Amino acid sequence: MYQVDRAYPYILYISMALYVVSIVWGLFLTPEDFVQGNSYRIIYLHVPASFISQSLYMAMAIASAIFLIWKVKLSVYLVRSIAPIGAVTTFIALISGSIWGIPTLGSWWVWDARIVSTLILFIMYLGLISLHDSFSNHEKADKFLSILVLVGSVNIPIIKMSVEWWSTLHQPASITISSKPAIDLVMLYPLFGSIIGFTGIVISLVILSSKLQILKRERNKLWVKDYV
Amino acid sequence: MFNFEFNSLSEALLMQSQNGQNHGIYVWSVVLIVTLCISISFIFYKYKIKEISKKIK
Repeated sequence: MYQVDRAYPYILYISMALYVVSIVWGLFLTPEDFVQGNSYRIIYLHVPASFISQSLYMAMAIASAIFLIWKVKLSVYLVRSIAPIGAVTTFIALISGSIWGIPTLGSWWVWDARIVSTLILFIMYLGLISLHDSFSNHEKADKFLSILVLVGSVNIPIIKMSVEWWSTLHQPASITISSKPAIDLVMLYPLFGSIIGFTGIVISLVILSSKLQILKRERNKLWVKDYV
Repeated sequence: MFNFEFNSLSEALLMQSQNGQNHGIYVWSVVLIVTLCISISFIFYKYKIKEISKKIK
């Protein structure tokens, strides 16, 4: 905990600086898109949020598996800490996508596979938080939370592949591992910067949220009293 | 690569595209929402940690 406290300001300030620089670069220094005009600039805010919302769920699934197999208490604290931040990033992805949809798709909402599966992810995050908090017995709550997170992880490949499996209005991924990016390099560099910067900011939030969770759950331990 | 795309602050705010539409309202709304969500989350966790630390002490 002491080491994390020491690393926290560095992670936060470096990632915040990178995020701000990338956003300014993307909003003011990249050229207008031929098809979407200036509305495409929302990509620098929408894509990082969308990427992180799915990555956080995968991190929760890994931590849940660790808890169920090895009974590492810290991993389930992490699961509970990530859930609200996952909900916030998914909310940002949904809202920014809706706003982007007005000038590009002509509607703020369409019942499209990618959008609906992301909405399900948002509901899942909220459901997991409510489920965990509804139990008075912490051990039972931790176990149910971990099992449900693992079951829900089936939604992540669905979100990822939805634009390939179904005919959707949502555009396909601009960056894939297997092929050349469909986006010009001038626009791609600030996008990478914003993704890395946003990831750092979210990691800082996860650190705070985990700290809160540990203090709540371990408040009667002697080391916690020494720590605060 | 580093050419400023807009000639004035009002142009940057309006973000008029070549088809004549102003996209600034959409872009700046998203910037505002993201900033608010991140700031509120940090303030919330900082406050909650302070509160629980006081209780433990």
